Amino acid sequence: MDELLAVVGYKVRSSDMAEVAQKLEQLEEAMGNARDGISQLSNDTVHFNPADISNWLETMINNLDVPPPPHPPLPQQHSDYDLKAIAGKAIYTTAARVKPSPAESSSSTRPLVLVDSQENGIRLVHTLMACAEAVHQNNLSLAEALVKQIGFLAVSQVGAMRKVATYFAEALARRIYGLYPENPIHHSFSDMLQIHFYETCPYLKFAHFTANQAILEAFQGKNRVHVIDFSMNQGMQWPALMQALALRPGGPPAFRLTGIGPPAADNSDHLQEVGWKLAQLAETIHVEFEYRGFVANSLADLDASMLELRPSETEAVAVNSVFELHKLLARPGAVEKVLSVVRQIRPEIVTVVEQEANHNGPGFLDRFTESLHYYSTMFDSLEGSVNSQDKVMSEVYLGKQICNVVACEGVDRVERHETLGQWRTRFGSAGFTPVHLGSNAFKQASMLLALFAGGDGYRVEENNGCLMLGWHTRPLIATSAWQLATKSVVAH
Amino acid sequence: MRTKSSITEKRIEEHSFLCLSSSKTIKNRVHQHTPCSTVFAMKRPISRDGDGNGDLLKMKKVKVDGDANAEENCVLRGMRYFDDNVLFEVLKHVDARTLAMASCVNKQWHKTAQDERLWELICTKQWANTGCGEEQLRSVVLALGGFRRLHSLYLRPLSKPYSSSSSSSSSSPTSSSVWGPISQAAVAPRPKPLPPRLGKDAVHLSLSLLSIRFYEKMSNFNNRTR
Repeated sequence: MDELLAVVGYKVRSSDMAEVAQKLEQLEEAMGNARDGISQLSNDTVHFNPADISNWLETMINNLDVPPPPHPPLPQQHSDYDLKAIAGKAIYTTAARVKPSPAESSSSTRPLVLVDSQENGIRLVHTLMACAEAVHQNNLSLAEALVKQIGFLAVSQVGAMRKVATYFAEALARRIYGLYPENPIHHSFSDMLQIHFYETCPYLKFAHFTANQAILEAFQGKNRVHVIDFSMNQGMQWPALMQALALRPGGPPAFRLTGIGPPAADNSDHLQEVGWKLAQLAETIHVEFEYRGFVANSLADLDASMLELRPSETEAVAVNSVFELHKLLARPGAVEKVLSVVRQIRPEIVTVVEQEANHNGPGFLDRFTESLHYYSTMFDSLEGSVNSQDKVMSEVYLGKQICNVVACEGVDRVERHETLGQWRTRFGSAGFTPVHLGSNAFKQASMLLALFAGGDGYRVEENNGCLMLGWHTRPLIATSAWQLATKSVVAH
Repeated sequence: MRTKSSITEKRIEEHSFLCLSSSKTIKNRVHQHTPCSTVFAMKRPISRDGDGNGDLLKMKKVKVDGDANAEENCVLRGMRYFDDNVLFEVLKHVDARTLAMASCVNKQWHKTAQDERLWELICTKQWANTGCGEEQLRSVVLALGGFRRLHSLYLRPLSKPYSSSSSSSSSSPTSSSVWGPISQAAVAPRPKPLPPRLGKDAVHLSLSLLSIRFYEKMSNFNNRTR
């Protein structure tokens, strides 16, 4: 029995599907043809057991006296009648959300071909949407059946579509069955994933380079500088900044770094390790370096007093956050608190890099659709990368984000991405004004992309002083820079 | 000791030998057994005298200074007497590609051609003024992996004319980018085979990438390869 149809009440053997499909076509043709004859079907004919579609169709057809079409020249008669169009429309027009899988992928003159990659691609997307809607409406049994179907359909695809579909299917399954992923993931594992992601595609590098450029400009002429990094991870952003400071005309300033990160699951002090490595690098290039690592479960736990700030006449401060601020949106009031702490720090500049997408809408279906588009584009951009191990790890890295967006709720759902416009509003109302990123940042970013193999699809765009990196026409991440509104305007 | 007499006789051959950027490869020259007398001013360490002009490929003059400085290694019969110093001086004037080829000739040439000072010359000739002092730059770059690596990994790919990427990244039709034209001009493909002058941004980018690479290679980083 075909599972999918069984859920909505029709019993069809999988082996009979082709035949049923053909009969449905015939019936549809006949109904279209018979201008006066349809009412007899409802009034005069007695139908038995509609669950048994095959026989029911037989009855209907016989009643309409439809001659069995051996090889009817049907396409000529209904030149605009495109069977392929059934795939999309039927899903949304029938209330029961039956996938009319038998009737779809064929023309009536040829034997049915049930596996057709392009058709299946469309079916896949529709099934994903249908499943999400079912989840949204809490129709979990239907959702369960659909999610299994997604698995089958995904296998027939290749490349990015297949992987995206698989991850979304897994996330949906988790939501349906209530198997929420464990939080937190082991720290070294997620670090490793991020390292691979760093290597495979230019998003993180773009983020670091553009943020560093803004920080460098803000630090011009300062002798002691302090960077507070909300997204310490492996510290990959800072070697380049230290190198640029080391080569500053007139010599490097004293560089102080405060790294903030989540606690490591195995109690290892990995923030200190990173600091140690950076210190070694600093010594090699003769930059005076000071480091402090802070472990915090959430950025909202921080206070300005903990950071041992020095008077702003002696030390210029920059705050940096790469893909960290959106996590605060899971708790009400957290982001406002963090922004007020940032204000207390009185930084020269605040650099923020965030995903350019709205995955924080109130409705599940909207979030699902948005994230499906976003991650499809991301996966697409990964396809061109050369190193397959890196690529797989990057996909796992993104897959975890997908899982979080789709399967989690409430405090657990931390991947609450918002668009640049939304962040602009937020920062504006928190008392910050934008700092425009310079053309040298744009140029360096463009050159960086050119160096990347498979970099043809990447686009750098400037958006009112912010820089966005995207794949073809879709922007995916955005870098912006901010300063306190009360500061006098410095020539940047 | 054949010195001055052979110098006068062989001057023409020296001159043609020293135009290493000509079409013939160095190896051909090596096998010609052209005596090349050491009539240069040999100074170590490098000081950038008038020889170090930017116009490598059109090196017309060799500083022929046949006085007392040229006392060592003046016997030259075949390349096996070709001293490291002489080779070094010669290689100061070649372009990157030639220098790289030179390191493939034999062990002696390999050792000499890998010298960071030669690559420093090659790199800095290509650059716009970076603003920082020579010593400063040298100490940082050498600490982070050296000029040779900087050149081969980053400067060279950046200075190659690249076609689709530059145009695609800067001329997105939907963006309101005001810097599109500038970016494109900065990386426009050059028709001539000469290495183009690299702008400040390309230099900074290369240095940043070098530092990242250094950081990645530091001891306990390679978890991902396990």
